[in-house]
Amino acid sequence: MIRLKDINYRYPDGTIALRNINLRIRKGECLAIMGQNGAGKTTLIRLLNGLLRPSSGVVYFDQQDISNQTIASMSTRVGIIFQNPMHQLFSNTVEDEIRFSLKSMNLTKSEIEENVLNTLVKYDFERYKNRSPINLSGGEAKKLAIASIMCRDPEVLVFDEPTLGQDAKEINLFIEMLKSEKRKKKTIIVVTHNIEFAFQYIPRIILMKQGRILADGPSSKLLTNEFLVKNASLIYPQIYSFKLGLKKIGINVPDEIVKDFELIEFLSSYIKNQIES
Amino acid sequence: MSLQFLNAFKFLKKDTIVHNLDPRSKLIFAIIYTISALLFVEVIPLLIILFTLIPIIIIGRMFRMWFRSITGMSFLFLLIIILNTLFISFNFGIAMVLRILIMISAFSIFFLTVDPNDLALSLISMKVPYEFAFSFSLAFRFVPTISREAQNIIDAQQSRGYELQQKGIINQIKNLFPLLVPLIISSIKRAFNVAEALESRAFGSNNERTYYYSIKFRSRDWIFTSILVIFLVIFIIIRLNLNFLPSWLLWSFPL
Repeated sequence: MIRLKDINYRYPDGTIALRNINLRIRKGECLAIMGQNGAGKTTLIRLLNGLLRPSSGVVYFDQQDISNQTIASMSTRVGIIFQNPMHQLFSNTVEDEIRFSLKSMNLTKSEIEENVLNTLVKYDFERYKNRSPINLSGGEAKKLAIASIMCRDPEVLVFDEPTLGQDAKEINLFIEMLKSEKRKKKTIIVVTHNIEFAFQYIPRIILMKQGRILADGPSSKLLTNEFLVKNASLIYPQIYSFKLGLKKIGINVPDEIVKDFELIEFLSSYIKNQIES
Repeated sequence: MSLQFLNAFKFLKKDTIVHNLDPRSKLIFAIIYTISALLFVEVIPLLIILFTLIPIIIIGRMFRMWFRSITGMSFLFLLIIILNTLFISFNFGIAMVLRILIMISAFSIFFLTVDPNDLALSLISMKVPYEFAFSFSLAFRFVPTISREAQNIIDAQQSRGYELQQKGIINQIKNLFPLLVPLIISSIKRAFNVAEALESRAFGSNNERTYYYSIKFRSRDWIFTSILVIFLVIFIIIRLNLNFLPSWLLWSFPL
């Protein structure tokens, strides 16, 4: 669905942000882009809807070169939700904020109103619909920023640091939303530093370093690889450290066990066996 | 992007003669050029003043920065020319553009080559109270931060279908709200954060503060400023009596 071919990007001040990036993202895929700060993650996602144009190389969307597409037309297909929700909230009310996102979509007035209403219900904003977005709490503001992109129903969803500054409950809500979008076969790209979150919920990881793709593969392999973890400023996921600890005391957990519930199952049957023998 | 002109005010550390001048002499330089630009409404003298800036820009190795920011403002220049041509004359429009170009260039040389910290020191040496000098230099310190933030806001709004270019002047003004409101709110929030951070580091607790760095007005600064003052005096004399000038210098567009 999305293909980046030989992408290089150099900022006007001369810093090279991306070097020779080649990437294929299939429809309905869910992947995370990880790597230390300054690795080029944010630059990479800005190429997807044309906010930045590559210095060399081509971005394809459904086999079409997007270089002559406007940002406005690409934004209906690729929705990017930025890190800081306060960078986009400006309307007088929550309702207006969502309406603004729909105005550029060539919808009739009644369609817009219907969509606004549905979005308010879906994201539980009915109570606040007349409140000013500026007075919302951090988590609520983030949710509104997400809602104001989701109401446009883009095919590809890109989240920049969605779990940053969110409390546990808000992260869970986000994960639930991610799961439901996954079921709808949306393509999801998440830029994150949250290792636990990526390990548990994101099947594919792209690790970046200094503008290059360091590795691309399943999260269970990449985030437990000693070389990669050291080279991309990461740490092992807790569950993997726990497995290493178990190994030290002589309990060998099979490699295919990666999720928490799998480990719980394994350990309970292991303990049962020990007691019986 | 339209915000690129802000780059003209972003300090970059370089080792050139222009960078190494005392901030005060560069402030005098910017002020003298501004005054000279305001002295004339004739196109040729203004052009000459503008061209004298170019060697300084080249010596300071900031030509590309300067040129880019000037082209970033071309829309404003066009607007000035059109409005002036409609209401006064084309010649006056060009003169006004040249005036603004000179002033912006002079001040952009100043801001591109003066470290915000030195700026505060130079203000203090001119007996400006420390609190004011500090907030002044802090304001300039935040120009690049705010321009980066403005870019982020533009990106965030464009990602949900916002279009920068709109038809009609009213729509264009309306179109600024999605950018200005978040920018102002986040700037106010940042101001409070900075104030709290300063207070938690005991800002202003001690009246007698000392400085780690010091600035010095060296002989090259004296030479630089005296040349500038001589020029200013010559310009003022010419302004008082334009008859000193040959007629080709007073040439203007026939419109």
